[in-house]
Amino acid sequence: MGAAATTDKAGVDGRGGKYLTFALGAEEYGLEILKVREIIGYMEITAVPHTPPHVRGVINLRGQVISVIDLRTRFGLAGRQRTDETCIIVVEISSEGRRICMGIIVDRVSEVLNIPGGSIEDAPSFGTNIDTSFILGMGKIGSNVKILLDINKVLTAVDAACAAGGEAA
Amino acid sequence: MGRWKCGDNADGKSDMTQDVEKLVEKCAAAAVTAQPGELTTLAQLHTDLQAICDQWRERPEAVASATHAADLVEKLVIGEVPDAEAALQQVSEQISELQALLEGKAAGSTEKKNETAAASPKEGSHGGGDEIPDERIIVEDDAPLALEFVGEANGHLDAAEASLLKLEEDPSDLAEVNAVFRAFHTIKGVAGFLELKQIGALAHITETLLDLARKGKVQLHGGRLDVVLEARDLMKQLVGAVEAAAKTNSAPGKQEGLSRLLSRLEAAARGQDVEGKAATPEAVAVNETMASAAPVAGGAAGGGATADATVKVATARLDALINTVGELVIAQAMVSQDLGSVASDQRLARNISQLSKITRSLQDLSMSMRMVPIAGVFQKMARLARDVSRKAGKEVEFVQIGSETELDRNVVEAVSDPLVHMVRNAIDHGMEFPEDREKLGKPRAGKLTLKACHQAGNVVIEISDDGRGLPTEKILKKAIAAGVVKEGQELSEQEVFQLIFHPGLSTAEKITDISGRGVGMDVVKKNVEALRGRIEISSTAGQGSLFTVRLPLTLAVIDGLIVKVGRERYIIPITSIEQSIRPAREQLSTMQGKGEMCVVREKILPIVRLHELFNVEPRCTNPAEALVVIVHEGTHRRCLLVDELVGQQQVVIKSVGSEMGSLPGIAGCAILGDGNVSLILDVAGIIHSALR
Repeated sequence: MGAAATTDKAGVDGRGGKYLTFALGAEEYGLEILKVREIIGYMEITAVPHTPPHVRGVINLRGQVISVIDLRTRFGLAGRQRTDETCIIVVEISSEGRRICMGIIVDRVSEVLNIPGGSIEDAPSFGTNIDTSFILGMGKIGSNVKILLDINKVLTAVDAACAAGGEAA
Repeated sequence: MGRWKCGDNADGKSDMTQDVEKLVEKCAAAAVTAQPGELTTLAQLHTDLQAICDQWRERPEAVASATHAADLVEKLVIGEVPDAEAALQQVSEQISELQALLEGKAAGSTEKKNETAAASPKEGSHGGGDEIPDERIIVEDDAPLALEFVGEANGHLDAAEASLLKLEEDPSDLAEVNAVFRAFHTIKGVAGFLELKQIGALAHITETLLDLARKGKVQLHGGRLDVVLEARDLMKQLVGAVEAAAKTNSAPGKQEGLSRLLSRLEAAARGQDVEGKAATPEAVAVNETMASAAPVAGGAAGGGATADATVKVATARLDALINTVGELVIAQAMVSQDLGSVASDQRLARNISQLSKITRSLQDLSMSMRMVPIAGVFQKMARLARDVSRKAGKEVEFVQIGSETELDRNVVEAVSDPLVHMVRNAIDHGMEFPEDREKLGKPRAGKLTLKACHQAGNVVIEISDDGRGLPTEKILKKAIAAGVVKEGQELSEQEVFQLIFHPGLSTAEKITDISGRGVGMDVVKKNVEALRGRIEISSTAGQGSLFTVRLPLTLAVIDGLIVKVGRERYIIPITSIEQSIRPAREQLSTMQGKGEMCVVREKILPIVRLHELFNVEPRCTNPAEALVVIVHEGTHRRCLLVDELVGQQQVVIKSVGSEMGSLPGIAGCAILGDGNVSLILDVAGIIHSALR
């Protein structure tokens, strides 16, 4: 713990902190814990017509209707049968000055990690099938690398795609 | 800071003055609101008056007034006075004298602090309000108080307006005069406390005039009533300025025309005849045709106590409450279902049924909290009709029907603007001048009717007049001149009517300051459509026109029919459903270029395949094996092809979320009994997209 505290000082660029890590296929991702509202088990999702494929639909989160994004489809990964570990992470993002809640479907939630700023590197500009503008950085944990997402960018870009899809329809 | 009762240093003195001022203010408020029967209030009033006697010994005249008032109150309490109302009146007068004395004192005493001024505003000086003092900056600490005042004052002003309009019909109605007086009096009190000098000055002078009217010394009609109405309007502006200032922590700006109005009010109070701004004194009758719901606005005016019966709640909290109650309903339904699976326990079953009853009434209650009657908007229109008709030199009888109709408060706010335009247009363009009407054999006063009702899950607001109707010829000519319509193009009557919503087309021959610049109706249409509503027009030359605005009850409970298409469930608002049938093979046909049709009771209705529209995998594609739900929207009817009917349920409409963009054919979504989300069909949208 003490070691973590000292290395934490290296996080001057503001990227260090706690991340919720989850798995999507073989890769491990992380997103800032402060953006996470809660994690819920997979539930029945109501499909909404005339929306892009990665918008899976809407769910009822205790009386609040929130939209759910399939992160696999969003990242161009192949679809996968859902398992007991499939779950929905409810995140709070800000879009056009408003705070909105959205759900993202992931294969498995792993753990909450404290990643010091010194262990986070900028995303490489090659070698990944993901548009790197969504990536906050690459967190090195031992020999593993976690892809830290800027979930706001991931989801608001979805908005734009969504709106375009809506107009086209 | 210490307090000396009879201290002779400046601080002690100011403290004592404050005490007296507070007491006098308190008494004044109590005297205005007190009813003869309210013994506790009267007893308190008595105590306070005696306290004034004790604390203000250096002014014999004050002691005399206070003692006199206290005696009267005492007699009231023991029931010795024959006319309680008159006695109360006298008490008020004595207290007014105390207030006057206090003002003199405040002005005369050498105050280091201006705390005294806080409690008694300088009232714009009695000499005609020639100078209006500068306003203080509303500091952050005062802002919540000021905003609370704004809310309160607006309520009072609206009530006062309703009363004034009633007074116009019957100037001798003292109850209404009293209601208006109370409104201004209360505003004056709080304004004094908050050091809102312009408001204080205006309220004071208006109050003086109203007080005279209350005592029967002047009659409130014609020009004098106009001045009071103007005072109300200016007050509203002043209150608005306070609101803005409180939000930005600045000082409320000076209102132009205040000093002029003040002197006119003074003149009116002196008993001179004053000219109203609009010099045509014909009365505009404001008829309350609806039977039950006048008390919405009138109730607040009727008794000062009603104001206390309401609590302001932030909308966010209300929404949270509604959501939570919705969840409670779902959880309750689940428990009830579980009960069916366990061994039957009489007691448990009874308790759960009791629980479900309570839950349901809780849901109804929470839903009704967001709904407000449209009466407020109607009242605004009544006032507008009065003002516009005077300006335009026309006589108008304004009739409102169904002002008790409730709709979501967001909708109420948003619907006001379009209505303003339409009412203005109806009077300025639609109505003929009284002389012309007489020549046509119509009554001199044109009739403008505003009607609201619930119909087919919508709120329908109708604005109808008995004027000249829409000039189709003229509209067409204008449209051709503007290049909107080609020469020789055939248009149906409806299509011609729709042209008035085209931006830039105005049929008014001259531009008045009331209407006619050709902006308006297109904005009206836009506003109404933004609320997902529609406008329909019907008009007969020489007999008048009718504008029907249909608005959805956005956040409301609707009865829905739940249908299944493939694995998806959709909700169709019950009110747009005519019937559902399984069509026989011979009822079905396909028409060239028009698609599939279904013949129902000798009517040919187009079939809309929901699964194609929403791109879902259906269980059956053959209409003869599936079901069709016949829906209607206005005069259009369509058959929606669905797999099965699940059942009927009351649902709460929720928005799907702006992040989804616009969703054609979807009006919203709702959470069903099992906690899942289901989409609500936008029947109108589906029909209209099918039309195109």
